[in-house]
Amino acid sequence: MEPIRSYASQEIEKDLNPIEPQKEPKFKKRKVWIPGLLLLTPILLFIFGFFVIPMLYILYLSFISTDNLGGADAVYSLKNYTQIFTDSYYLSSLWLTVKISLYSVLVSLFLGYPVAMTMAKSSARIRGYITLLIVSPLLVSIVVRNFGWYLLLLPNGTINQTLMALCIIDTPLKLLFSEIGVVIGLSNAYLPFMILSIVASLYNIDPSLDKAGAILGASPFRRFFSITLPLSIPGIVSGCILVFSLSMSAYVTPALMGGANVPVMPVVIYDQINNLLHWTFGSALSYILLATTVISVAVFTRMFEKGKFKEVFR
Amino acid sequence: MKTLGGLRIAVAVLAIIYILIPLIVVIPASFTSANYPSFPAEGFSLQWYTKILERPEFLEAFINSAKFAALAAIFSVIFGTLGALGIAKYDIPGKSYITALLTSPLSVPQLVLGIALLMYFTPMMLAGTSTGFLIAHIVICIPYVMRLVLTGLSGFDYNLERAAAILGANPLTVFLKVTLPLIGSAAISGGLFAFLTSFDNVTVSLFMVSPEMRTLPIEIFSQMQDAYNPIVASVSSVVIFISVVLIVILEKIQGVGKVFGGSHHTNG
Repeated sequence: MEPIRSYASQEIEKDLNPIEPQKEPKFKKRKVWIPGLLLLTPILLFIFGFFVIPMLYILYLSFISTDNLGGADAVYSLKNYTQIFTDSYYLSSLWLTVKISLYSVLVSLFLGYPVAMTMAKSSARIRGYITLLIVSPLLVSIVVRNFGWYLLLLPNGTINQTLMALCIIDTPLKLLFSEIGVVIGLSNAYLPFMILSIVASLYNIDPSLDKAGAILGASPFRRFFSITLPLSIPGIVSGCILVFSLSMSAYVTPALMGGANVPVMPVVIYDQINNLLHWTFGSALSYILLATTVISVAVFTRMFEKGKFKEVFR
Repeated sequence: MKTLGGLRIAVAVLAIIYILIPLIVVIPASFTSANYPSFPAEGFSLQWYTKILERPEFLEAFINSAKFAALAAIFSVIFGTLGALGIAKYDIPGKSYITALLTSPLSVPQLVLGIALLMYFTPMMLAGTSTGFLIAHIVICIPYVMRLVLTGLSGFDYNLERAAAILGANPLTVFLKVTLPLIGSAAISGGLFAFLTSFDNVTVSLFMVSPEMRTLPIEIFSQMQDAYNPIVASVSSVVIFISVVLIVILEKIQGVGKVFGGSHHTNG
């Protein structure tokens, strides 16, 4: 994303530096590329052999309707796919996955935007500390973070006891093994990505725009809604896409925080593959999950890029 | 206006606490003297730490995790650094496509990647073997190493290599004495990051482990699914401690924030 700078401010910068900086004598990169290809060979072979081909392999498997993997008597058909679309169990699981992912997007957007704004307004030092604080938990295993939530969300855990002590509730809420627990776990895990996406677009806003607004007499409230918020939409959109697609495909958090009570697609797929050994059907479910994510993201992006704020995406 | 700014900071503080709190509660919970996990802990004892030593499966899982994370880091750094050098230094046609391909394992859900590799490895007799496990972990580490080393190379002055060559150094000497020291810190932080990624991984590992070969996060995961036992808290505290040490080193070398800059990261 290119920084959105007003043409006028670029002109001013030019006027302030009338002498164009001397272009550094740049040596052309070597035109030869055979050695480069040689350096790339190991990694390319590895990614092809152990990523591209396996991904295509399960796509191929998803069209086999017998559980026999590609033997002589394998039957190729769309049966796996038609079964998914005619069975309400899988469709409701898909809907549940989309719903929970949308909730976790909303929670991380509302909690993340103020953090991003605070970071954009702070000095480099404070910003560094905040970055460290929000990014470090990503480097601790998700099972450990989920265990922390387990302790907090237990029926007699900290959150329920606090709420009961404050007389907000009489009986403990069912937070664990419920949709709320999954949304908490997911939004907690992916909130840092939302913050980092928004902060990246906030940095790119020309501060003179805000000043101009203030000089022209706009209130801070108005300046936020007319300048900062619209110009940070690209960051919001990419943050939402990131949190949405990560939530759609998360397995560990729904399995630990929701268990059998929250059968989202990844949990259903895991069950099909590892417990029921329906490998071809599980492959088809995997590609349905991938396709749903990609299509939702495409629709969402298009909505914004074609909509009212299309200018900010240039 | 004051109230608006105050509200923003209040929510921001709340959000940061929200991010950190699951990790903060684990450590005090590990010192409980009760037979069930809780926060705040009941009483104080170190029994759940000494119990780790009585459970050989945890120690074994820890050794497996550390061993495979180190191997995955070494291989992904070698592949990734060579690849990044190839991309950054030479005018290869279709460069952007190659970079996109090499970082694409990040945009595929780890669950799907794990399934794909399990099915692909089964006819090859690699499923449930340490080789299969290692390959899967190298695949998930490569994108991070690629990104870090490419970032490190973006400010690289190729004139230094030319100067060394003009002064008569052979290509190997140029690489060892000029190129490597200059991209070393990027490669090391790539390696540390790869180590943590592999060490923490659950989703891909679930499809690669066997009853004989399990890793620490997998052990914690299955303990949590079967029965909640305070030993999970003490083992988790050990994991947090290891992660914090590595994060501090990573922060000193490169800055932890850089790794995630506009990234696509799959975890969980």
